[in-house]
Amino acid sequence: MKHYLKIRINTKRKTDALLKLNKVKVDIKNIIYMSDSLILEIEKEDLKKVKKYLASFKIEILDETGLYKAKKEIKKNSLFIISLIFGLLTFLLLSNVIIKVNVIHNSKEIRDLLTDALKERGVTSLTFKKSYDEYEQIIEEIKAEYKDKIEWLEIDVDGMIINIRVEERIINDYDTNYNTCHIIASKSGTITSIRVEKGIAEVTHNAYVNTGDILINGMIKLNDEVKNNVCAAGEVYAEVWYQVNTSFPLNYEEQELTGKWRFNFTVTTNIKEYTILKSRVKEKIIKKIPLFKVFGIEFAITKEYEVITTNKKYTEEEALIKATELIHEKLQMNNQIEEIITEKVLKKSINNDNLDMDIFIAVNEQIGKREYYTIEMESDTNDESNNGGNNGVN
Amino acid sequence: MRIVKNLQNFLLDQDYYIDIFKNCLHVYYYLDLVSLSSTLIELKLKEFNLIIEGENLTISAMDNHEILINGLINNMRFNR
Repeated sequence: MKHYLKIRINTKRKTDALLKLNKVKVDIKNIIYMSDSLILEIEKEDLKKVKKYLASFKIEILDETGLYKAKKEIKKNSLFIISLIFGLLTFLLLSNVIIKVNVIHNSKEIRDLLTDALKERGVTSLTFKKSYDEYEQIIEEIKAEYKDKIEWLEIDVDGMIINIRVEERIINDYDTNYNTCHIIASKSGTITSIRVEKGIAEVTHNAYVNTGDILINGMIKLNDEVKNNVCAAGEVYAEVWYQVNTSFPLNYEEQELTGKWRFNFTVTTNIKEYTILKSRVKEKIIKKIPLFKVFGIEFAITKEYEVITTNKKYTEEEALIKATELIHEKLQMNNQIEEIITEKVLKKSINNDNLDMDIFIAVNEQIGKREYYTIEMESDTNDESNNGGNNGVN
Repeated sequence: MRIVKNLQNFLLDQDYYIDIFKNCLHVYYYLDLVSLSSTLIELKLKEFNLIIEGENLTISAMDNHEILINGLINNMRFNR
């Protein structure tokens, strides 16, 4: 690599100086014309030649350029840079060390149990912190190992302290019998189709049902006498009505890529994301390319794509279409809904640049859900059911 | 820039190139800088002398083979 020097030639006869330099075949870069001088870059090995042929001119070396300048600066500030690196490494080291593990629970037994379990898995004081995924794995392992003692477990990293929050599992004496269940209505609606796999259908096509009504009965009866109890299974679809109130903004922003982009670097810690270089793009979309991860700190290259944002406004018709599409999208996220039967805009008005609407929607939806019951309770309450009470559903 | 030019020269085997940009002139493979002022620059090329006339003409960079001239160029002539 060529070693360039930035020099100043103090002269008012700039053209003479340049012609002389040209005659002696000196490579010159970045010539800047000043009022009484010329600033230019020449190769270091040409300096002697320049001084010899331009003996009548006053020449001073201003600086070095490129990597040599960087090298010189680094050498000059070596103590500061070494201290900075050392400080950074110490900070990284210390911020990734656990100094205390707090198990938050009233029971000493649970606290000791978890402390030992975590110690076995390398989570103890004066050790390095682990990543989020590793903590997740440890939680799962401990929950699996002590499934009869631990209901819920959370590891919360608070600086250099690890807080373990735990909920003890309390096992009740009574057992719910998961072999006996009804299918009940989760919503009110008119039955459109019913498919029974197990149990007795209690409703028919076009019947109106209310929330909580039994759709498929798990009790197999003959002449009002329960012969068998099963866990009812099947699908029950009903026409369910919804009235949706929505407010859709008419103003929106549209972003368009300009084609200009810049590289940048980011460092992401548990707390914050730091951008290393000053961003030269005002409005941007960022694409992140992860490089490596050290002590839970992620280093990444980011590509900043410049965008131009323009403010636009929907017409009332466009807003109506967009709002309806949004409602459809949200309804389709509910996988119980099979199809939208009908919809009608009941009311619409524009307030403060928002389109406010009331929409009526009728959908075909699976409304059946399981509800377990115990046979003992059923037998206890048989008399009640005969007297018009409920039939023992929990 | 030089790598591209060298490659171009190798592939096309030309004796010289003259590229004109906005307020900028790049001459590759000139033989000599004959005269230089803020209004006139004369370059010697293989087959002719290139005379550039304009205002505030300055040289931004030069070496044995190429030269980059900045300024408002009004006129260019070939003197054979």
